[in-house]
Formats: sequence, C-alpha cells, structure tokens
Amino acid sequence: MNELVVETKNLNFSYSKNKNDIQDLELKVPKGSIYGFLGPNGSGKSTSIRLILGLLKKNSGTVALFGELFNEQSRLNVLNKVGALIENPSLYEHLNAIDNLKISANYRQNISSNRIQEVLETVNLTKAKNKKIKEYSLGMKQRLGLAISLLSNPELIILDEPTNGLDPKGIIEMRTLIKDLNKKFGTTIFISSHLLSEIEKTCTHVGIIRNGKMLYQDTVASLKDSKGTNIKVEIEVDNPNEGVSVLKNLKMENISLLDDLLQIEVKNKNEITDVIDVLRTEGIHIYQVTIKNNLEELFLSLTEN
Amino acid sequence: MSTIVYYTASLKNELIKLKRTFAFWLTIISAILFPILFFIAYIFEHKTLVPAAGVNPWGKFMVTQIENSTPFFIPMFIVLVTSLIMQIEHKSLGIKHLFALPVPKSSIYFGKLSIVILAIIVTYIYYYIAILLSGVLLGFVYPDLGFLNFQPEHFQYLKILMTSFVASLGIIGIQFWLSFRFKNFVIPLGFGMFLAIIGIIVSQAPQQSIYFPYSFSVLSVSLGDKMPLIFGISSVTIFSILCFLITSIFGYFNIKKLNIK
Ligand SMILES: Nc1ncnc2c1ncn2[C@@H]1O[C@H](COP(=O)(O)OP(=O)(O)O)[C@@H](O)[C@H]1O
Ligand SMILES: [Mg+2]
Repeated sequence: MNELVVETKNLNFSYSKNKNDIQDLELKVPKGSIYGFLGPNGSGKSTSIRLILGLLKKNSGTVALFGELFNEQSRLNVLNKVGALIENPSLYEHLNAIDNLKISANYRQNISSNRIQEVLETVNLTKAKNKKIKEYSLGMKQRLGLAISLLSNPELIILDEPTNGLDPKGIIEMRTLIKDLNKKFGTTIFISSHLLSEIEKTCTHVGIIRNGKMLYQDTVASLKDSKGTNIKVEIEVDNPNEGVSVLKNLKMENISLLDDLLQIEVKNKNEITDVIDVLRTEGIHIYQVTIKNNLEELFLSLTEN
Repeated sequence: MSTIVYYTASLKNELIKLKRTFAFWLTIISAILFPILFFIAYIFEHKTLVPAAGVNPWGKFMVTQIENSTPFFIPMFIVLVTSLIMQIEHKSLGIKHLFALPVPKSSIYFGKLSIVILAIIVTYIYYYIAILLSGVLLGFVYPDLGFLNFQPEHFQYLKILMTSFVASLGIIGIQFWLSFRFKNFVIPLGFGMFLAIIGIIVSQAPQQSIYFPYSFSVLSVSLGDKMPLIFGISSVTIFSILCFLITSIFGYFNIKKLNIK
C-alpha cells in the first residue's frame, strides 16, 4: 500500500501572473486506494487534474505517475495506464455512443468491439447505444464519459466530479461501480468532488484542497477520528421539552433542542442505549435516533478561512 | 507502436467525426454551386453560345468556368471548411480528451490537417465531376452546343485545378493552425475571410501580392504566362508550399506546448 500511483511535489501553477492557482501541492495517492479530492468550487481540483495529465504546464514542481516522472519521454507510457474524465465529458454530439467509444478505442489500439459492449453494459447504456449524444441527458453523458475512461482497463482512473448531473439513483450506481472496480481489479481511483458526503461514502483516502492549497491529506478513517471523541446524537421524541429536563438529570454534556429535536453528545455508542432507557422509563415516546455527521462541520471549518 | 499506426488511427477517427456534419455537406454544396450557375447561364444563353463548326465547346466551357470562379472562391471555402472541421473538436471539448490519451500530439495535429486537405481535394474532385456532368447534360438538352460531339481535354483543365490547389496550400497551413489554436471560431473565420477578400483586391498589384498567401489562388490563374519563375517553377507554387510547411510545423510546435484550459 506504500506505493504511490500519483505523487506531486511542490506543484505550482497560475493561470495569470498576479495569482497562484495551485500552491505547493503535494498529492499522495496510494496504489489501490479510492482517493477523494475534496474542495469547494474554484478551489483548484480540475486544475490539479489537468496538471497531473500534462494538459497544463506547471510553473514548478514534479508530477510522478506509477513512480515514473511525467515528462515528454514517459508521457505515452504513463498515459497508457490512465483513464480520465476531466470536467464535462468530451463527446461528439452528432454521433452515437458506439461511434464515440470507437473513436477512443481506435486511438488506444487493441481494444475489441466486445470491450465496447462491455463498458456500455457496465454504465447501463446498452439500450441507448445507437442514440445520438445530442439526445442524451446530462447524466447519460456523464456515464458515457465514464465508459470511455474504462475502455482500456486502466490501472488509474481519474474522475473529475463524476456525479455532476446524475440523479440519486445514478449517484448510487456510480458509487457501487467505483467500489466494484476498486475491489475486483484493484484499480486506483482518483475522484474529485465538492461534496463531502460523496467522498465519505466511497473513499478510503481524502485530500482537502482550498484556494489551491492542500489543507489535509490522510485516510478517511483518520479524518473521522480527528474530529474529537464525542458522538453527536439527534433524537425525535413526542415531548421534547420534557426530554431535555429528563436528560439534564444525567451527567451528559451539551444537551439542547434544535427544531424540536433533542441534541446530545455521548462518549461512545453504548451511552446511546442509556439515553434511550432513561427517556423510555419516563414514558417518553422515541420516534427516531440519528448519529449526526460532524465530518460536515469539520469540512466546513477546514474550508472556511 | 510506430508513428504510422498512430497516424492511421487518427485519420480513421477524423473520418468518423465528419459523419453527418455540415463540413461534410459543405464540400458537396461548394462543389456543385458554380457548375449549377454555369449550367443555368448556358441554358439561358444557349443561342449565343453555339460554337463555330469544328470548334470543341469544352475548352471555353471548362476554362471560363474554372478561371472565373475557383480562384476567388477557394480561399473563402478553405477558411470556412477548416474552421468547421476544427469546430467539431472544440464543440465536443475534445482537445483535452485527445491530449490526455496515450497518443503523440503530432498524430492528432497532422491527422486532422490531412483530413482538412483531403476534404479540399475531394471538393476539387466533386467540382470537376460536376462540371463534366453539367456539360454532358447541356449536350443532351441542346445538342447544337456540341458537347456530345467532342471530348474534353482533361489534362489541360486538371492542370489549372492542380495549380490552384497547390497555390492554396499556404493558407491551409495558416488557417488550420488558427482554427486549432482558437476555440472561438469567429477568430479564424473573421481573420481568414477578411484576408481572403484583401487577397483578391491586392492581387491587382501582382508585384507586391506575390508574397501574400491569400492572393496566391487568384495570382496562380490571373498571371498566366507572366508568372515569375524560380528554378523554372512558378514562384506562387514555391511560396505557397513554403508557407504551408513553415506554418504547419510552427503550428504543431505551438499547439504542442499550449496549455489546454
Ligand atoms: N481557463 C481558466 N482561465 C483562468 N483561470 C481559470 C481557468 N480555469 C480555472 N481558473 C481559475 O482557477 C481556479 C481553480 O479552478 P478549478 O481548478 O476549475 O476549480 P475546481 O475544479 O476545484 O472547481 C479558480 O480560481 C478559477 O477561477
Ligand atoms: Mg472543477
């Protein structure tokens, strides 16, 4: 797991002289990981991806893919092992899905027409394969873009906001697909998003970027640990005010009401049972208990100033 | 993999991309436009156009038509068709995808350039076939025009077309680079159309315009025997080929280093 598939060092880039769009970026994407590249809009995710793929000329620093420095000599060799979907997919709207896939297959060589059918099946577009892309929805285009990046069975797949324009069902399918690829073939997946929930549910590793600077980079597990030990719980009851006074008798911290929902912090999951027991003994009805996601708060606090 | 394999793949793909595009239809429309106009003119004027006994009507029909339309029209056609073919790529946000594929950028640049040239050659071929057919048709409609009684002298007409094509290579190099370089098609189109018109105007002064690529097409026909020669070859031909080589190679190195935003 120590092998890095993407590694950048001191990466700097600016679109114009008076502004630094990427600053000293040190990306470390381990082999076999699903790496979530997280940051608000305009933070430099797409720019970083373009730098990794050699589409932009870096001002300084290095990019290494599969342990090999990315340069003029290694370019073809390195790109051979990469499939990428950069921002909006590049599709020829006047052609159908088959032709679009054929074009990428021809460029890459050695890709059978079987494989084209296979990736269409994978992204659920077999029925629409003869339709012109003009008639596709945003989500279908996104899925075809993904299919194109899968064509060559790459070792590294780079996806720039792949769930853009997908409906909830499509988002779940995409998530499953990404996890499957990673599990079955050990494909390393680099995926950018501005939504924490997206990254949290799919990724093993996370890098958080803001204003072109990396703020945090580690496994998702340590991100979850780093947010403090207390678990925040939200409880819906029939009588919230009574609930608050009952809980105040326990020696628990930070009890409050938010939109008529009880808010409470516990030290571990066992204490949740204790809380429920106390409420039930007092005859209070419980309709719902939820563990609150405070990664969201952490993400916000990291990306705000 | 060898360069030639990449180049053929690129050519094959460019042909797929042209399917059902306006650029494809433009080659056909442009090719038949003037033959149709001349056909109509001959229909209306057929009484005055009956040749003297024993005179081959093809010579006048072909040469007048080629010399009076091609040189003026071809530069504008090149500007338009080159922009349109490149626009297929820009519209699909294709360049970022192509340049992130394990394919040499040269095969993409020169593959596309080859297809632009091929589209222009094909237009010339359609054009030639269209004129011949319109002549034969006139022969059927008005037998006294004599088109069915004589053979066209292909070599003579094809030589004019060939010269015109080679004289256009220079602006193909320029326009292709501009169209590749600028996403916004107004830039190559506006610039090209403006210079094409300037080219026609300044071709009135051949001494100066012999160095101006956008005049080459007109000069290649209008100068006739007065064309200055370099090592026995028309100087417009030489300048045009040089301009093509320089701008294509410069264009490639420029595109190769370009930031794909
Ligand atoms: N083509 C461009 N020209 C100039 N500036 C750009 C361009 N694309 C992006 N930027 C700037 O670079 C920064 C990062 O943008 P981007 O990488 O697209 O962010 P993200 O993908 O995280 O939303 C932003 O400040 C944006 O304004
Ligand atoms: Mg982006």
